[in-house]
Amino acid sequence: MIVPLDLVLFLVLIVTAVLALAVKDLLAATALLAAYSLFAALLFAGVLAVDVALVEAALGAGLTGVLFVIAILATTRHSSPRPDARRRWAVLPLIVAFLGLMLFASTGLPDRGDPDAPAQRGVSQTYLADSYADTETPNVVTSLLADYRSMDTLGETMVIVTAALAAALVLIRRVDDPSDRTDDPRDTPGGDADLDRDLGPADEDGYGGRGPR
Amino acid sequence: MIGAYPSVVVRVVCALLSPFILMFGLYVVAHGHYGPGGGFAGGVFIAVGAILPRLTLPEELAYRLVPPAAGPLAGGVGLLLFLLVGTLPLLVGGSFLDYGAVEIAGLEASRVRYLGILVVEAAVGLAVFGAMVLIVDVLTGKDRP
Repeated sequence: MIVPLDLVLFLVLIVTAVLALAVKDLLAATALLAAYSLFAALLFAGVLAVDVALVEAALGAGLTGVLFVIAILATTRHSSPRPDARRRWAVLPLIVAFLGLMLFASTGLPDRGDPDAPAQRGVSQTYLADSYADTETPNVVTSLLADYRSMDTLGETMVIVTAALAAALVLIRRVDDPSDRTDDPRDTPGGDADLDRDLGPADEDGYGGRGPR
Repeated sequence: MIGAYPSVVVRVVCALLSPFILMFGLYVVAHGHYGPGGGFAGGVFIAVGAILPRLTLPEELAYRLVPPAAGPLAGGVGLLLFLLVGTLPLLVGGSFLDYGAVEIAGLEASRVRYLGILVVEAAVGLAVFGAMVLIVDVLTGKDRP
């Protein structure tokens, strides 16, 4: 019996997603999310959406994982237990109902690659036929993104730059921030390293400057 | 350097790989006309090539390769370049972002649109690169040059 590759990939996708939610170690969850993105990229490549697969593999499996790891290094590695752990099960019927609704709705979707699908009957035929004559670009995805629908791309680029600037404004630490030096101005830059240096002379007993254990 | 393990293997591999990742990113940006890729994926690859040294190499070396000011600068320049290319056809009577309206002597309209796509992809790549480097620099607390 030959199992379609798509089914296997979907199964692995769901398993990695559930594991990433269930695992307590956030570093492991990050690795699972990267694996999820990798399998999603394989799925995209399987339906010949190579451009999307490339972005998903580079962003989802690569850079997002790095950002998460940096955030974990800056905060904590273990997820804290939620106080409302029992109440969470109350939403389970809602999720099941929504899943059923989505599955029911998906029966009305056209098949993959159906030439009579609504997406195939509009302007897309014109784009596919005229792209090379209009723009000398063999890759229709590129000519669509950067020429026919470049207004969308402009909006996306604006969103990306604005989001990065907003993240920077939220996370940036100002030099003259008064909340930074509430305790001791010497402590602000380095945390533990400075503390150890301050306790340096007490290290003569060989217990690492923290007193006897 | 951010990693918890100052491992020689990791440092050497990252130092050797990052220029090739950078080059592959430039290739993806420039090759968007003929294959998968374009500004978004290429910008991410270039950003990874700039971020890997930050994670593994000593700080002053990594910041000499790509200074922290490069993030916001590249993001702004990329967006500005996109907007300029978009407004250029307006000046000669075309509509916004319609590169074919710009007449360059000796080039057909389709060729001008081809070049417009190239410039737009480069602008998107710059903007994405800048955004990613800015986010990483801010997360690691090294946002001031």
